[in-house]
Amino acid sequence: MTPTERIRNFCIIAHIDHGKSTLADQFLLRTGTISPREFREQVLDDMDIERERGITIQMHPVTIYYSCSRPGTSDAITYELNLIDTPGHADFNYEVSRSLAACEGAILLVDATQGVQAQTVHNAFLAMEAGLVIVPVVNKIDLPIARPEETVLEMEHSLAIDPKEVLFCSAKTGQGVDEVMRALLERIPPPTGTAEAPLRALVFNSHFDTYRGVVVYVRVKEGILRRGQRIRFMRTGREYEVQEVGQFRPAMKPCEALGPGQVGYLTAIIKNIQDVRIGDTVTDAHRPAPEPLPGYKEPKPMVYSGLYPVNNADFEALREALARLSLNDSSFTWQPETSEGLGFGFRCGFLGMLHREIIQERIERESGLELVHTAPNVTYEIVLRNGETIQVKTPQDVPDAGQIAEFREPIVRINFIIPAENIGAIMQLCVEKRGTFIRTEYLSPTRAMLVFEMPLAEVIYDLYDKLKSITRGYGTMDYEFIGYRPADLVKLDILVHGKRVDALSTIVHRSQAERRGRALVKKLRREIARHQFEIAIQAAIGSRVIARETIAPLRKNVTAKCYGGDITRKRKLWARQAEGKKRLKQVGQVEIPQEAFLAVLSEDEEN
Amino acid sequence: MLLFHKAWAVAGPLPLPLKSSRYQAEPRWFWPRSVYVHVPFCAHHCCYCDFAVVTGADRLADVYLDALEREMALWLAEPIDVETIYIGGGTPSWLSPARLRRLLTIIQQFCSYQRGNVEYTLEANPDDVTEEKLGLLVEFGVNRLSLGVQSFHPATLRFLERHHDPASIAKAIELALKHISNVSLDLIFAVPGQTLTDWHNDLARACQTGAQHLSTYNLTVEPKTALWARVRRGQVCPCDEETERSLYEYTITYLEDHGWEHYEISNFARPGYASRHNQVYWSGEAYLAFGLGAARYVGGTRSSNTRSLRSYLSQLRAGQLPIAESETLTPTERAAETAALQLRRRQGIHRDRFRQQTGFDLDTLLGSALRRHRNRGWLEDDGVTVRLSRQGIFYADLVCADCVASAQSSSR
Ligand SMILES: Nc1nc2c(ncn2[C@@H]2O[C@H](COP(=O)(O)OP(=O)(O)OP(=O)(O)O)[C@@H](O)[C@H]2O)c(=O)[nH]1
Ligand code: SF4
Ligand SMILES: [Mg+2]
Repeated sequence: MTPTERIRNFCIIAHIDHGKSTLADQFLLRTGTISPREFREQVLDDMDIERERGITIQMHPVTIYYSCSRPGTSDAITYELNLIDTPGHADFNYEVSRSLAACEGAILLVDATQGVQAQTVHNAFLAMEAGLVIVPVVNKIDLPIARPEETVLEMEHSLAIDPKEVLFCSAKTGQGVDEVMRALLERIPPPTGTAEAPLRALVFNSHFDTYRGVVVYVRVKEGILRRGQRIRFMRTGREYEVQEVGQFRPAMKPCEALGPGQVGYLTAIIKNIQDVRIGDTVTDAHRPAPEPLPGYKEPKPMVYSGLYPVNNADFEALREALARLSLNDSSFTWQPETSEGLGFGFRCGFLGMLHREIIQERIERESGLELVHTAPNVTYEIVLRNGETIQVKTPQDVPDAGQIAEFREPIVRINFIIPAENIGAIMQLCVEKRGTFIRTEYLSPTRAMLVFEMPLAEVIYDLYDKLKSITRGYGTMDYEFIGYRPADLVKLDILVHGKRVDALSTIVHRSQAERRGRALVKKLRREIARHQFEIAIQAAIGSRVIARETIAPLRKNVTAKCYGGDITRKRKLWARQAEGKKRLKQVGQVEIPQEAFLAVLSEDEEN
Repeated sequence: MLLFHKAWAVAGPLPLPLKSSRYQAEPRWFWPRSVYVHVPFCAHHCCYCDFAVVTGADRLADVYLDALEREMALWLAEPIDVETIYIGGGTPSWLSPARLRRLLTIIQQFCSYQRGNVEYTLEANPDDVTEEKLGLLVEFGVNRLSLGVQSFHPATLRFLERHHDPASIAKAIELALKHISNVSLDLIFAVPGQTLTDWHNDLARACQTGAQHLSTYNLTVEPKTALWARVRRGQVCPCDEETERSLYEYTITYLEDHGWEHYEISNFARPGYASRHNQVYWSGEAYLAFGLGAARYVGGTRSSNTRSLRSYLSQLRAGQLPIAESETLTPTERAAETAALQLRRRQGIHRDRFRQQTGFDLDTLLGSALRRHRNRGWLEDDGVTVRLSRQGIFYADLVCADCVASAQSSSR
């Protein structure tokens, strides 16, 4: 056990890709935590998907030991640094919040070629609210296009950071990294808390391990956590005997005990990940603390979409795949649902669009199933005439208009950081998307932050793509749920060949219903292949049809000549046609391709 | 499930030159009993044609025959026993009598055939049909003539850039039938400007000629042809799908009513006159081929020659085969292809023969596709054979593609 004055706990926070994991690499290498032989870039990103996409998805805690000499003497002191690498993407903000609660300080990293971005601001405020000491660092100064001075100015303007405190480094070359490490020791306060007090350890994460059961990530605030100890989770009341205590180095390494200020894990033959609540407090069952530590808000899924196997027979296999995945990611939810069109499947809830994409990719990859996913939607609140309030997670569950007293949608506060020249265009975009302007702030003469409040549904409906195209890639955004507000919403149904396809229904604002309806049927007309009969595609609100397109029947598809010289070409054509056929769902007599279900997601350029 | 009797059957191209005697006992999908010879010369390049064709290169005819002879020698170590020969083009009949004689002599040198049994076809332009050439053909055992009539209607012929006079066609057919008892006519429908009446007249005239075989092709706008360019520029408006379908439907009804047997998507025959050579293609059986752009299927490998006359000639001059592409099919690819090809035949796929030929059980291979198209009414299945229904003919490519898709996923 390390005495608290020689412990420093911090996390690394930043906008996506600003170099958090690469800086962590530097720390690990410099302290000999991993040898150059074991090293690979962003070594903490150990999931397949993290490595392939080059992004961090989960937080990664690691304990390192750093020796340096006491100023003015030659004695070396060894410090224990517990650092947590965090994801930069907005969908995984909850991982940042959890990490912050385990630390006293945070390195706020800003890419000198990009400057302050939306997640920089968001994460910096989270850290400030949590009362952490911030060590501001400008990264990537090795790059010729780096503009460190401007970056510092932006940090000062947007975050009130004292320019004198800003450090400069290159996580790639290692330049300036020693200075950063010294600053950590000097500026971040050691943890407080005594070994004598009754045990209180904050549960800040967990994962499932096939051999050990649930691995509980803890930050000990007071008291001592030991192997063999009888512990109690204060909120759930569950008791266990600790089987193993250890640290992340970065692999799990058992130790005898964790003392105040230390970060590590415990295992206790816990079989079900749902049995451990993140934010709970671990205490000694025989000498319990009187009060638990403050916990966290559980992250709530914001975006829902349906997942259906292409072959109905794969339903059970899909259920198993979902169950396996939720062992390691308790932030997504799923429950069976039936669609008239798609058959049996699941309604899944995700934290955001990237989270959704990643989960779907993992399921498909790990189970080998072919899936159809429906367009995502947000959760709505509906107050019924009888006074009852219901949560609606799928357009299918919207009751008849007659029963609805009030229809509410989730609203987010959204920050954009964009080049100043795009302010006008983004303003206009936000107004089209029913946004309410809150304020503008200039980070520098050329870059500004715009704040809006906007329905979440509008955010997931192609806002990100539009932002990127308006700002030619330079704009970033970040949003945060603020509550539900009433709105004039209606359910827009789609009928294909006279049959309502529930998986294509959407909830839209009445003022946009007609435009969306027209755009959608037009798009579907292009996505659905011609059949041997004419297909009508209609958009309707209740029984009123507001838009219609028809797909002309296919009368003939037959090659006239197929002789000796034509066969190879034909076979290749058939094989290509065959490839395109993979993800079709038969709805009534019509085969609908996967793309059609996602058509709801964006409007075409021409519209 | 696989019933291969020879592991090397799919390993790669057979060693050349081929020693025919070694393979004679091999199954028909593996060892060829048919030969195709391509003659690329034409008087004029018709606007719709995407064959390997050269015009204005008369002076290259002799060099071409030299090359052809060399190509056959590179392939064949000894004469091969054949049951069908097809000389196509281009316009083989365009060759002068002396060159035609030389061509037939070369073929005779490399292919042994029995006059009584062989089906020996030559493609001809009606204008080229002369007593002299017909006599020559008979002398070498050619017993089937395929005439590129295309239409009897002047406007249609003009559009297609075929410059024979409708009146001369009947005469040519008559003359041909005096020497050669088996005559086939090519006709084209869905030509811009052509009416149903025009097409009806074409069919009626064709029936009166005494020909034993008819190939009726829906005009297809092939990429990179002159017709294609005209369509793109908006100078020509191609026939719409609905009209094409009704013309095609009319063709089948009319010809079947008049005693013709519809035996392949675009082919009709008087009883007993279905083309044996072309049925080799639609059965998924092997065939050899020589000449510019020619494609062959031997020992499970499909390969084709270059379509550039210059490189065809120069490679052969250098003693090399002018092969541009070659692909050895996997067992599943071969089975899927066989199924798709056989569906073009009105007789369809015979389950037992299919298993013998490919080693695959048809229902296992195509399971879901068969079911789907049976339910849709596009396939007929009596338990022994599966074939396109009258309705399904119009969607043959969709059914074939689905079969290939099913085969691909069942093999995963
Ligand atoms: N030239 C240069 N490149 C850097 C530096 N630091 C990081 N990079 C590169 O920037 C990219 C992103 O780095 P990461 O460390 O994965 O960034 P991150 O902040 O962890 O990203 P997320 O976890 O996805 O939010 C990688 O290609 C790094 O090699 C630096 O100091 N200089
Ligand atoms: S259609 Fe026949 S005659 Fe015309 S160019 Fe083609 S091969 Fe030659
Ligand atoms: Mg990272």
